[in-house]
Amino acid sequence: MQKIVLFLLSIGFTISSFAQDLDFVRIEEGTYTVGEEGAVLNPKRTVFVKEFNIATTELTNAEFLLFVEATGYRTTAERYGNAQVFEPGLEEFRWIQDSTAYWRFPNGVSRGGIVNKMDHPVTCISYRDAIAYCKWAEVRLPTFDEWEVAAKAGSTGKYFEGASEEKIEEYANIWHKEDHLKPDFSDGYMYTAPVKSFKANPWGLYDVLGNVFEFCEGRLPQDKGRKVAHARGGSWWCNRTSCAAFNTIFIGSVAPMASFSNLGFRVVRD
Amino acid sequence: MENKKKSLILFSEINFRQVGHLFTIAMRYLITVLISISAVAFSYAQDDLALYEPTKADYDYWEYRRKMTVPPYGLDKVKGLIKKIEVKSDDNDDMGLSALSTADFKSLTLREKFTYTMIHPEVYSQNCDIRIMLPNEEQKVFAYLLSTLNEQTWSQRQLVFLRENRDSIMSYIEESTLRSKRMGVNYKDVIDEINGWEMIPFIITYFENNKKDKDALTLLLLLMKKGEYEEFLKSISYRKLYGQSYNYETYIDYNKANEELILQRAKGYFKEKSAVRK
Repeated sequence: MQKIVLFLLSIGFTISSFAQDLDFVRIEEGTYTVGEEGAVLNPKRTVFVKEFNIATTELTNAEFLLFVEATGYRTTAERYGNAQVFEPGLEEFRWIQDSTAYWRFPNGVSRGGIVNKMDHPVTCISYRDAIAYCKWAEVRLPTFDEWEVAAKAGSTGKYFEGASEEKIEEYANIWHKEDHLKPDFSDGYMYTAPVKSFKANPWGLYDVLGNVFEFCEGRLPQDKGRKVAHARGGSWWCNRTSCAAFNTIFIGSVAPMASFSNLGFRVVRD
Repeated sequence: MENKKKSLILFSEINFRQVGHLFTIAMRYLITVLISISAVAFSYAQDDLALYEPTKADYDYWEYRRKMTVPPYGLDKVKGLIKKIEVKSDDNDDMGLSALSTADFKSLTLREKFTYTMIHPEVYSQNCDIRIMLPNEEQKVFAYLLSTLNEQTWSQRQLVFLRENRDSIMSYIEESTLRSKRMGVNYKDVIDEINGWEMIPFIITYFENNKKDKDALTLLLLLMKKGEYEEFLKSISYRKLYGQSYNYETYIDYNKANEELILQRAKGYFKEKSAVRK
């Protein structure tokens, strides 16, 4: 009897949560646990968030193209030729500056474009570019707390239910080799994967860990008044032996004008 | 949602006998009411969660770890050149990085190039570079150093410059460290970058005079790792710091035994490398 009741309850829970929109999940207003004990920059605590709707996927190249076509917007990388790209063979944490790289060629012209990758997350865009998109599309970036609440999907741990640092393959496009000296296709993708290629978290968010880091709104004490962009969730570049940032706790820091081929975003609608 | 899930558990534990065979629609209304009630109760229950408030000591030591050293060589000239290439936006916000022209870079003396490289990294560093802060860092010897500068790192030409002039670079670092009595994270990073194992005796002496700087021990570990020193590779410390599941949050405790072990191994590594060179 108890199992039947729980099953019926879970059906009711699912319907009330996910029937709002095909592309967004509504997160109820409430008090949630975020952070982790011992994490100085993101300590375990309770936070109150108002209701918000978060996209089930990272923003794709196809969606970003609509924005560019409508506005003629030129990204930071296009204007300054300062994007950072990756190719196998680089030492840990090393990237290459490539003046040909921008969102249509996220790792530079010589490494191919996005023509057949319109369902991949847009990358090689800066925080400034993400904000410009949001303004045009009348959406916004999630706050630190909103992103983490949605990513945790009810868990109070470092990972959402079902995932762990050891058991991440089903949920996230990450780098599986110990270093970045040779290509890694062990999960099918060296760079980005099409959105929804991996299993969603329990609340229906895809690629919330891995694939691309997702820009969020928030400040850390170390910013000290400077404008610093922050992105979360880990990326295809991240492996267990470098940053292991594919979890719900890590908060990265990057210059607001920096464009990397592992940086993207997911939007929120109020 | 977390509140909801918690309420589901409470509900199933307390009321499932009375609920019986309800239809899904009726359940949802009932759930909504119960969720609202339990959400309130649960939000109060959360108040006793452990909160770690970083202490001033935490922040101070973290700042100490990420502090860099500014070389004195041609500093005014280099600063003047950097000022000329800085781009300012209308809203006084970040407008991106700028680098000296090839001609200007080439025109600098070796020492001036060193100063320029140390204070003006030319490219952005990625989002997951090492900037994590952990509690009680002063009691830890980390596997890795913190990232050198705020969201920036050295360009390819700067790395090439450092590697191609490693002997001079090592002598500048020694000279500058003796002068300022401080080896900033940028200096340590360079020593690791150019595999400056010849500096091991200097680093050990520096540490013995600056015991607060546990990152000097980290630097010794990194040099032994880079040099694949067998005695270190087969040690328990190595497995703990750089084994299967290491990442840049990994550390060993700082205590007398670990300190002595690191220093002893580093001396052994230096001796072995020196013998091979002869």
